[in-house]
Formats: sequence, C-alpha cells, structure tokens
Amino acid sequence: MIGQLLAGNLTHGLVLGAVYGVATMGLSLIFGVLRVVNVGHGPFIMVGAFVTLAMVTALGVAPPAAIPAALLIGIALGFVFFYTIMRRLIRAPELASLLATFAMGILLEEIIRHSFGAEFRGYTWDVGKIVLPWTVMPMSKVFAFAGSVLVAIGLYLWFNRTRMGTAIRTVVEDSEGARVCGVNVGWSYAVSFAIGIGITVMSGVFLTMFIPVGINPYMGGAYTLKAFVIAVLGGLTSPYGAFFAGLIFGLIENGSYVLFALIPGVEPFALTRFLTFVILLIILLIRPTGLLGAKK
Amino acid sequence: MKLENITKKFGGLVAVDKVSLEIEAGELIGIVGPNGSGKTTLYNVISGVYTPEEGRVILEGKDITRLPPYRRAPMGIGRTFQIPRPFSSASVRENVAVGIMFGTLSGKVGVDESLEMADHYIELVGLQAYRDKASGRLTPTEKKLMEIARALAMKPKLLLMDEAMAGMHPRDIDDVVRFLKETAQEENIAIVSMVEHIMRAVAGFAQRVMVMYQGAKLVDAPTAEALGDLRVIDVYLGRPSGG
Amino acid sequence: MRLKIEKYYPLLPVYAAYLVMFLIGRTMPGMWQMVALLAFYCAIGQAFNIFLGMTGYVDFGYVAFLAMGTYGMALGITAFHQTGLGIGIMFIGLLLGVVMAALLSLAVGAVALRLRGAYFAIATIGVNEGFRYFVEGARIWGGSEGIIFYGDMTEAFGAETTRLLSTVWADVAVFIIAAMAAFVTIHYMRGKIGYALTALREDEDAAKVMGINVTKYKIIAFITSASFAGMIGAMAWALKLTYVFPPDVFEIHYTIECIIIVLLGGAGTLLGPIVGALIYGLSKYWLAVIAPGFQLLIFAPIIIVIVVAFPEGIMGLVKRRAKGTGWERYII
Repeated sequence: MIGQLLAGNLTHGLVLGAVYGVATMGLSLIFGVLRVVNVGHGPFIMVGAFVTLAMVTALGVAPPAAIPAALLIGIALGFVFFYTIMRRLIRAPELASLLATFAMGILLEEIIRHSFGAEFRGYTWDVGKIVLPWTVMPMSKVFAFAGSVLVAIGLYLWFNRTRMGTAIRTVVEDSEGARVCGVNVGWSYAVSFAIGIGITVMSGVFLTMFIPVGINPYMGGAYTLKAFVIAVLGGLTSPYGAFFAGLIFGLIENGSYVLFALIPGVEPFALTRFLTFVILLIILLIRPTGLLGAKK
Repeated sequence: MKLENITKKFGGLVAVDKVSLEIEAGELIGIVGPNGSGKTTLYNVISGVYTPEEGRVILEGKDITRLPPYRRAPMGIGRTFQIPRPFSSASVRENVAVGIMFGTLSGKVGVDESLEMADHYIELVGLQAYRDKASGRLTPTEKKLMEIARALAMKPKLLLMDEAMAGMHPRDIDDVVRFLKETAQEENIAIVSMVEHIMRAVAGFAQRVMVMYQGAKLVDAPTAEALGDLRVIDVYLGRPSGG
Repeated sequence: MRLKIEKYYPLLPVYAAYLVMFLIGRTMPGMWQMVALLAFYCAIGQAFNIFLGMTGYVDFGYVAFLAMGTYGMALGITAFHQTGLGIGIMFIGLLLGVVMAALLSLAVGAVALRLRGAYFAIATIGVNEGFRYFVEGARIWGGSEGIIFYGDMTEAFGAETTRLLSTVWADVAVFIIAAMAAFVTIHYMRGKIGYALTALREDEDAAKVMGINVTKYKIIAFITSASFAGMIGAMAWALKLTYVFPPDVFEIHYTIECIIIVLLGGAGTLLGPIVGALIYGLSKYWLAVIAPGFQLLIFAPIIIVIVVAFPEGIMGLVKRRAKGTGWERYII
C-alpha cells in the first residue's frame, strides 16, 4: 500500500522534475556563459505562468499555445534587460549583478501585481488521464513532461549543431580566444542571456500545465530556491546537468513528502520545503561545483 | 626555502614537472622562461594558491605544502602579482599598511603603527606624493611600485616578484633593482624575481638564475653562466641546439 | 585597547541625527510613530551594512535573524513569565534573541562563507524560507500559528509596564541599538578588521595572499550583523507586537528594504544607512498616503539604477566631494 503510494508519488515526482529541470536550465545557461547568478529567476517563471493564464482565460486557447508566446516574450525580456542593465555590469563586482537581477525580479512581481492583482488564480485544462498500474496521471502533466524533454533536447541540438550555439560554447571556454577568432562575444552574451530568460519564462507554461492553480505574482520566490538547489546539484554551469538534477530533485521532493507524511506530529509540506534548503547546504558543503559532472 | 620535486597537473596537462630548487636566506634569484613554462604555476604553489600533486614546499625547515595562502604570509612569504592588484578604494598608505598588519608582524602591530611604518616603504619606492590617493587611480607603473612596497611591508623572508618590472622604463627598472638589492641586504630577504624576457632586470639583479621550459627546470646556475647557456638561447629563439 | 578619540569623530553626525530625530519625536505631537519607524530603518540599515557594506557579500535571507530575535524574546517571556524576575525577563529574552540569531548566523556562515559571493548569495536565498518551514514543519515554537505572549507579558511585568514597553520603550531601545551599531561599525572600520574586510571586498584572492584569513573576517562581520538584527527583532518586533507569526517574521520584504536602505545611502559608509533610512522611510510614509503599495514598484528600478550608475550610493558621492576639505573627518 505504501509502496504503491510511493511509486505513484515518484512517478509524479519524475514528471514534475522534468519541468523543474527545464525551469532551471536557463539559470545554468546564464551562469555558465555570463557568470551571473540570476537571483530574480523565480519571477521570470511566474511571468510565463501569467502569460499562460492570460491566453487561456482571455483567448480561450489551450495552454500549449502559450508556449511559443512565452518563449518569445521571455527572449524579448532577456534582450531588453541585457542591453539596458546587464551589459553595463560585466566589469562590476559580483554584488552588482546579484542585486540587479534581484531587483529585476521584484520589478516583475510588482508590475504583474499591479496589472493582474495579487489573488491566487488558476485555470482548468482537462484532456483526460492516462492510467498506469500504480497511479493515474492527467494528460496535462504528460504534456508538460513531454514538452520539457523536447526543450532539453532542443537546447542540446542548438548548442551543438548551430553556429550560434557553437560560438557561445567557445566564449564559455575562453572569451579572449573566441574574440580573436572573430566571434562576437558581446552578441553571444546577449543571446545567451535572452535564451536563458526565454527558456525560464517558457517553463512557466509547463509548470502551470502541471499545477494549474495557485498562480499569483509572488509564486516565483519558491521556485528560485528550488532552481538554485537543482542548478547547484547539476553543476552550476551545465544546463544538461540542471535537467537531470531536476529529475532527481522532483523524485526527492515527492518521495520525501510521502515519507514525512508518515511521521506523526509534523507538517509534511513545510518539512519538504525545509529539506530543499538542507540539500542545498549539504551540496554546497561537500561539492559546490555540483555532484553531476562539472563543466559543460 | 626548498622546493622538492614539485609537480602540478591540471587534468592531463603537466604545468610543473618535478621542479626542485633551494633558496638561501638573502639570496637574489631569477626565474626565467618563455610563456607557458610553468613559472606562474610554480609561484602559485609556493604562495599556496595551488597544492601540488607531488613534492613538498619547505620553508625554514617546516613543510608548508598544504598550508593555505593566508598562513604563509605571516611565516614570511610575500608576493607581487603580474597585473597589480591594489585594494582600489583604499589609499596607497592603507594598502601598504595591510602588508604590515598581516605579514610577518601579524598580531604584533596596531593599525596606527602600521600606517606609520607604511610611510617608510612608500618613500622607498618614491610614491610619497600619492600617499593618500586612492590606489585605484594610480598609473600602471605607480601601481606596480605600490605593489612592491606593499609586499616589502610584509617584511617577508622570501619575496616572490612576478614580472614586477614589465612595462617600466629602463631607468625606473634600474632604480627598483637598486633599492631591492639594498632592502634585501638590510632585511635579509631572499628575493625571487620572475621574468619572461627583461634581461636587464635579471642580469643586474640576480646572483643565480633558474631557467624553466615546458614545466621543467632546464638550468640552475649563476647568472652569467645560465644566460650564456646554449640550451637557454635555443629555448628563447627556438633554434635546434647545435645549429 | 586604547581609544583614540579622533577616530570616533565620525560618530558625531550620526549621534546628532539620532538626537534630532528623538527630540522631534518627543516634542512634536503625532510624530513619534514616524520617528520610531525611521529609527527602526536606521538601526536595521546600520546592522545590515556591517555585513553587506563591509564585505560586499549580500545575505538574501537576512530577515531570518530578525525573526530569531523575535522568537528569542517570545520564548524568553513565555518560559520565564512566572518566575517573578520582573523586567529581568526582558533582558533574558533579549539575550536569547541575540544568541539565537548569532547561532543561526554561525551555522549558515560556517557552511556558506567559505564560498565565493555568488554561491553565498545562493545559500542565503533559502535561509529565511528554510528556517520558517522548519519551524512550521517540525511544529516547534508554536509551529505555523506562532506564539502570542501578551498575556504572559502582563503576568511577567504587570499591565502598566507591559503597555509602556510595548509602546515607548521598544522604540527607545531601537535608538539605543542604532547607536550601538554605529559605534561598532566605526570601531570595525578603523580597526584591523576594517582593513581586512576592505581588502577582501576589493580582491579576495589578493587578500588571502597578503595573509588575511578571509573566512574568519567574513564570519565576524556576519555574526555581528546578525546579532544586531537579533536585538532589533527582540525589542522592536517582539515587544511591540506581543506576538510572533512565522509568515510575518520571515517575510523577505524586510531584506529587500534593508538592501534599498543600505544601497541608496551608500554601502560601506557610516552615514549611508541613516541617509538611506530617512529617504526610504519618508518616501514609504508619504507614498502610503498617496499611492499605497507602490513603494516597491518605485524602489526596484531605483536599486537597478544605483547598482548600474551609482554603486557607492549617496554618501559615497558625498565622501568623494568631501575629500580634502575639513568635513572629511566627520563624514565617512
């Protein structure tokens, strides 16, 4: 009985983990290329969630339609933030980009709050369920999973098969050398930042497919921490590491919830979130460069 | 100080290959070698930034191979950097005072004493006029001079100088060489000067020269002998020896 | 340790400002509440500045130390309210609050301060949230319902004293804490610690090679900053509110306010937090009247502008102008 419960939970955890993974890939990409920690990461996911909400409720379309919209909006946001703010901070001390990205996140939260209000919103998207021997999963979650995996593969292909992707990889290796070889380093930074933000916003769509409720301007904060844990787990610079770490994290999060629920006198939801933080500290303690493979 | 068979690898690349070296107190040594010969890595091993895979670093009989950098400074290892690293928002005086406070006198001097003592070293390098100027606003040469003053202020027993005189006017180089030799004699400091190719700095300064090439020690001999060695000339000019 | 008086001259403008604020609050009708709020921001700004300003590291989970202070006082009062120690219980609560904040900072610092700035920031993002969910999840200290200790306070101190504490004395305490924080700041700045912190802030690797144990100094600054936050939480929050509620005391909003105050005023300067606190506090007060809920929308872009264009903040610019003039000795 517990076994089946656990198996079901772990399956859901794996699926959610894929979404978490995609949500984190942008963070790792931006850090890997620009060495910038986007502390305002969560709010960008929230923007994607609101794009989905707006399109579903206002235009009546199915959430997958929001995917390209979110991606484009995210890329646009990324370029805007890069050229107005981030570009000027390349030579500034670390603290500057930490504070700037943090403020960007707050700005997004406030703009969304003033535009949409602070209430919790949601939508419904019922496309049936898939029945497995040990659990039942809504198709919407399956779509979220499939979408996430496709994005991960897409990013891999882009990095390794396109000119732009290759250029960016050279910049990561050695920016001076790349410049000498004629790579436009500034443009590479801009594109990396924009794509990183784009993927992050897009992941908001997948997230709402998985959890179509609780959408509010301040939902991003919780995901910032999760994303950091996942990113550090996967090696802060590697987007692929982030994806796999996301899967692992999804498993741990859901699995721990079941296990905590077995302990009397505690609140499992809260403890799961505490566990997230503990995992982060533990990884930072043993191996800050990540447990899953190091470089790119 | 003794270096015994120091080997440092980065992944598959052997940056320093079984290098051994002995330096007596007060000796003036030069380390030369083309770019990529492993000089900077060796410096980083001595100052503690890197830990070698093999070999030991011994200072005055004590094995310091695994000590972190901040523990080596009070023991007497001072260092300048190739590209000067001033504490930009602090004044020249405050920068040099940091050297005094955390060098071999660490724990024995207070802030005010350190500031006073700093003046001596500032005058030594000729930067008195800029004593209270924010160090970030000095010219590159002035920064290099401050870098030297700060390192000397640590009252080290061994001073590692990294391309300290690159980009300086020949006359300035002669001045620096002169006061370095005087100070080394007065305070019994062993100075290791690392250069790529400023022979003027090495020839007038070092009693002994170690030449490195591709991570390994090529030659270790009194200056004139080392610089005249055919292998050394080949290494710099790239001509096969005997040709 | 001999105290050379000239070193402490820069405290004069600070204490003058506090005195003026205090007098305005006591003499002009209706101003005490606003002055108390400004004093709170000054205190929290000074405390935050000891870490952010001097090390250049940012702790996004800072509010957790305020929370620790608040819990400390709450736990002290609820545990000892029947012992008849009277006002001594308040001091026990204060001590408890400071110790708890210091211990948390030691725990987090020991793990996170060995790392570089970016990793440290990541580690701290979760501190306030993580600890809050620990309290709620493990159902300690009242769990998600928190602790209401008004009743215990009345039993411990008597109704009249409780009222006084909760209204006037909590605010006066904040002034005292702000003054202490300023003193510690200048003491650090002018001492060996200040030099070590400046060095590690400018160039951590060079500082290490120069013989500075950077981790040790980071931790000292961190614990100091956290301890003051604990004091403020114990006095300004616990005593005034007479209850502690996890979602309130772990709210990241306060960390954001600390960042705004210190950055606006000038990180790493002594007068900076005061300038920042006054500007932010007054703006918030004023905005609450004409456009409530808008202050973050306005201040978030301001942070960005400061970070990009004026990283030294207002006092940083003033200091540069003051160089070479007689004011230099008082403005730091």
